[in-house]
Amino acid sequence: MATDTGRTKAREAPVDEAPVQAPPPARLPTGRTSPVPHRDFVEKVAGTLPYADDWGFPGMLHGVVVRARVPCALIASIDTSAAQEVPGVRAVLTAADIPHNAISEEASGLGIDQIVQPVLADERIRYDGEPVVAIAAETPGAALEAAGLVEVEYEDAEGAFTIDAALADGAPAVHPGGNRYITWRSAIGDVEEAMGRADHIIEETYQTPRVDHAYLEPESGVGWVDSDGVVTLRVSTQVIEHARQLADILQLPHSRVRVIAAYMGGGFGGKEDMTVEPYLAALVWKTRRPVRMVWERQDSLLARQKRHPFRMHYRTGVHNDGTIVAQDIKILGDAGAYPLLSSRVLFAGAVNSTGPYRCLNARVESTAVFTNTVPTSAFRGFGAMQVVFGYESQMDLIAQRLGLTPVQVRERNFVDRGDIRVTGEPIDTEPGTRECMHRALEELGEMSAPTNGGRVGRGFACSMQPYGRSMFFADRASCWIGLEQDGTMVIRAGVTDLGAGQAASLANIAGEILGVTVDRTSVHIGDSALTPLTGGTFATRQLYMSGNAAVKVAQLLRDKLTPVVCDLLGCEESELEWANNLVSVVGDRAHSVTMAELSRTAEARDIMPYVHDTFHAETGDFDPATGRGRTYPDYTHGCHAVDAEVDERTGEVRILKYVAVHDVGRAIDMQRVVGQIQGAVAQGIGYAMSEEMEIDEGVMSSTLFANYLIPTSLDLPDINAIGLELYLGKGPFGARGIGEPPIGPCAPALARAVQDAIGIRMCRLPMTPERVLAAIRNGRDDSVPGAGKDGA
Amino acid sequence: MSATAAHTINVTINGRRTELRVSPNLSLLELLRTEAGGPEVKLGCGEGVCGTCTVLLDGEPVNSCLMFAVQADGCGITTVRGLAADGELHDLQQAFLDHAGSQCGFCTPGMLLTAKWYLDRHPDADREELRRAIAGNLCRCTGYTKILDSIEAYRDLPQDADGD
Amino acid sequence: MYAAAFDYLRASSWTEAVERLRELGDDAHVIAGGQSLVPMMILHFAAPSALIDIGSVEERTIELAGDTLALSALVRHVDLEHSDVVAEHAPMLTQAARQIGNVRVRQRGTIGGSLAHGEPAAELPCVLIAHGASVHALGPDGERRIAVNDLPIMQLVTSLGEGELITRVEVPTLTNGQGSCFIEMARRPGDFAMVNVAAIVTCDDGGTCTAARLALGAVGGRPVDASSAAGALTGHAIDEESSEAVGRAVAAEAQVTPSSHASAEYRREMVGVLVARALRGAAADAERRRNGERAAAAG
Repeated sequence: MATDTGRTKAREAPVDEAPVQAPPPARLPTGRTSPVPHRDFVEKVAGTLPYADDWGFPGMLHGVVVRARVPCALIASIDTSAAQEVPGVRAVLTAADIPHNAISEEASGLGIDQIVQPVLADERIRYDGEPVVAIAAETPGAALEAAGLVEVEYEDAEGAFTIDAALADGAPAVHPGGNRYITWRSAIGDVEEAMGRADHIIEETYQTPRVDHAYLEPESGVGWVDSDGVVTLRVSTQVIEHARQLADILQLPHSRVRVIAAYMGGGFGGKEDMTVEPYLAALVWKTRRPVRMVWERQDSLLARQKRHPFRMHYRTGVHNDGTIVAQDIKILGDAGAYPLLSSRVLFAGAVNSTGPYRCLNARVESTAVFTNTVPTSAFRGFGAMQVVFGYESQMDLIAQRLGLTPVQVRERNFVDRGDIRVTGEPIDTEPGTRECMHRALEELGEMSAPTNGGRVGRGFACSMQPYGRSMFFADRASCWIGLEQDGTMVIRAGVTDLGAGQAASLANIAGEILGVTVDRTSVHIGDSALTPLTGGTFATRQLYMSGNAAVKVAQLLRDKLTPVVCDLLGCEESELEWANNLVSVVGDRAHSVTMAELSRTAEARDIMPYVHDTFHAETGDFDPATGRGRTYPDYTHGCHAVDAEVDERTGEVRILKYVAVHDVGRAIDMQRVVGQIQGAVAQGIGYAMSEEMEIDEGVMSSTLFANYLIPTSLDLPDINAIGLELYLGKGPFGARGIGEPPIGPCAPALARAVQDAIGIRMCRLPMTPERVLAAIRNGRDDSVPGAGKDGA
Repeated sequence: MSATAAHTINVTINGRRTELRVSPNLSLLELLRTEAGGPEVKLGCGEGVCGTCTVLLDGEPVNSCLMFAVQADGCGITTVRGLAADGELHDLQQAFLDHAGSQCGFCTPGMLLTAKWYLDRHPDADREELRRAIAGNLCRCTGYTKILDSIEAYRDLPQDADGD
Repeated sequence: MYAAAFDYLRASSWTEAVERLRELGDDAHVIAGGQSLVPMMILHFAAPSALIDIGSVEERTIELAGDTLALSALVRHVDLEHSDVVAEHAPMLTQAARQIGNVRVRQRGTIGGSLAHGEPAAELPCVLIAHGASVHALGPDGERRIAVNDLPIMQLVTSLGEGELITRVEVPTLTNGQGSCFIEMARRPGDFAMVNVAAIVTCDDGGTCTAARLALGAVGGRPVDASSAAGALTGHAIDEESSEAVGRAVAAEAQVTPSSHASAEYRREMVGVLVARALRGAAADAERRRNGERAAAAG
């Protein structure tokens, strides 16, 4: 594949009125990795880290959730009498036993009405696996025995199990308001006029799958009522702020429910909505006993929320030279039976659907559709990753139609700082997409040779994915940092840690500013009663939000203590260096004060050596009626490149070489950045090649872990992940979020490689051997359901 | 405890001999996690597929979720806590720290045991052999690259007089 | 994740195990490796009232006696993987064992257990049918010999009688002029097979095929002997054309059902591809073994 060397001159960007909101100035990180690993990683390799299920109390009960195994029905009756008679059973709860049987959260952030999801189903079942009864018993055996004795009588009800069925005339309504839950619309310029001027219009429909997070740690936790009567849950969760919802469910004051987040064995968005929490809280509250609940993997696969399948219809108008003149995009996302975070996922899909490409005439419509299937919600990438498959596939089809290279067509269209997006907002940091693309292709090097008699193809894909929550959420994160009398540092922040070093990064950041080393720092996280709230770990926001909070608070503490130091050392602020647990005069380390001395002296002078404050993200307004306003605070740009070999007799694809390059602004810990990229790529490859939940007429059949095909070590090559530090972002020290962005480009990069190998573009994921072989057979990919229906 | 007769079993866990009374339907995994004080052995899938329940039974890796404790009578069991000695991390564990082979950590105990077991028998295994050796231990966080980096780093440590 | 309660006892001999089974009745079951049985118990598809542990009734012997490889039913997949005798005389067993599940499953799973369980996607029964292997079974009415081809009836059902246990497996070894090849198609390494093919061919010095055996597994309710379709190879070289023709013939006749990851049509097509590849692989193996024998004889 020819690599373009020229760079199309970017259009003059409008001059900024005001500079980018930079994070508070601070010393840039010096070392790449803290020499002493954070405590949680040491405990992980030692096997001593207590996860949510590694916890117990004397007299602890075991809780289970009993689930409906029909996809759509009316509940005629529920008989729990036999279940209650099982020796050792202490509680059998139905909907009537839940004080406020509603999980509701105004997810859109814009006051759009929410549909209530019951904790336990009352009148009807809307999806296969919906919870009906919760049981607590003295032993797991008794709980399971009782679960088997619950009798539910159902009456048939018609269900709509696919988007097409749900949108058809006279379709059964999943909820009273109809099956179109929410539609976001955004437009800029004049699409029809621009399409009229286009030399070519490339039109295609793409379909992405319903996939499971498949974290290795099941949904789990322990709950109890503490000595003050506070309902306390210690659970594997990404969001401790759910404590308020739990209080509402139990009709308790918010201050009487406490959620503690254990370190998670993976989250990826699957623990962003509540999982065990409401059932655990209800059983604890009913029995006043400690209760443990761990979901069986098979139940998790059956009924815990998945990623939204997207059907994306793209119409792109281009000139002969490859420049895009118009984009007309329609997205349909399958929300399943309840909304959860669907409004935000489809929003993210909508506003990111044009990708890192300039387009002044664009229109996007993005709709969440209810079906009687497992609810879909947050999953790494959150709508913004599904559309990468759409816009990158379009770029490759455009290249093919126009006889340009995939590099050329992208070069002609890459956004620059200042370019306006479909929502009317400008991109206000520098995009490094171009540099990432060139670096990725350079790293891939010579074309790989076949290993198994197949045809080798090469592909790449670029992406621009947001980090941080939509700005109309007025996001904020608080943090407390203080020095103990012995000079050790304590950080309290309500972050939840899902294994990407969320807690460790706070220690690193505060340590950079205050000079306290990681081994003399304790980070207390994830306790809604005891740690300042930081918002949940999702949306690649945690580093941006709590990291910036840590920067702000550490700097405030440093500012607060500086006069004391200056007084003790008899010097000016500008002469100070905070490092290695000392504050010393630059160039004269002997002339120093220890953190212990500083802490005690300050306290003696009534200058308390701690600060609690809040970082407020940039806010902005968005008008859903016009689709105009501010959305995400910033984006992370990247490019992945891959060589893959296709066995033309079987359709199997083997990935030979993989490079992933992202501009991360500034890396707090480059080793962890690389690890995040590699992990996201592994999930992206699974999504592209093998993962899919199989549902037939609403009945879920992918309920064995053995049958849910996440990649093993043999399914992946080494992932060459590179974090470039090109252009500052808005995170601490100029970092850009990296948790989610690397999951998007994998599928289109692989689709391009397959296209390069067999000459056919796959428009549906996953690209299973059977689908690839059928495409080879037919000369095209016919596997997208509903393709060709305008707008559907 | 179930209604059927309990059995007395003798097992050695990380070098410590223990006598326990167990119900036949108690899995080895459940035994280790509850009565034998070993929550480092995890439950991930209950199907023998994920590898988080890996323990070494008389030195060989098994699915503790697919064994009943009674089947392990007379056997020696090693969990990841059996790797460290005298409060010091094993070199393999240190390698995972140095090379970020662990993110959420849930797969780590099983991964460490499998890697150690394989390298003990094949000390010169190359990266592709090691990749095959860990194929039965699923990881959803790392993409396996840094896990293999960690294992290779351990393999390449100079052998000292004490062996590992 | 919890199996229903059961009584547990260990047998110290095959005879004792059979006797106990007879006493305890229909709801009792034996357990060796447990890698098939225990998942069924904890997923609540099976609830035996008693388990008789036969894991140590005898040594896990692998012996070569003339042209026959004799295996204790307790031989584990890991034993097959690492046995030099097996690699030399029935290498498809080595190839197949390597692909069963994961390393932990192979540490416990046994050949007897695999045969008795009757899972259509299991690798070893397919290989053993190609070899024309047989088993010894001990039951309340005594001992008998059963051809492996007569064991499977349909998914999870075998022709073993009530309380009858497989004690021994006898495998005719590869002889002069023979070569073999086992190919499994699975979505990921270690997953349940989508297609299993085992081929043994006999070729003369000129490379002409004089006999061929073929077994096909995973696609229907039981593994099947597909050797008759391979009869067309007799008197011909095994090349792309001849092997593909046999592949198409086997695919056309095969009983194929859809699976969780593949339609029946795709599986049928893959039967054709894998049969052809396995036959060519077996022919290449025959050549390698012949050259090896010549080298051994010369050296």
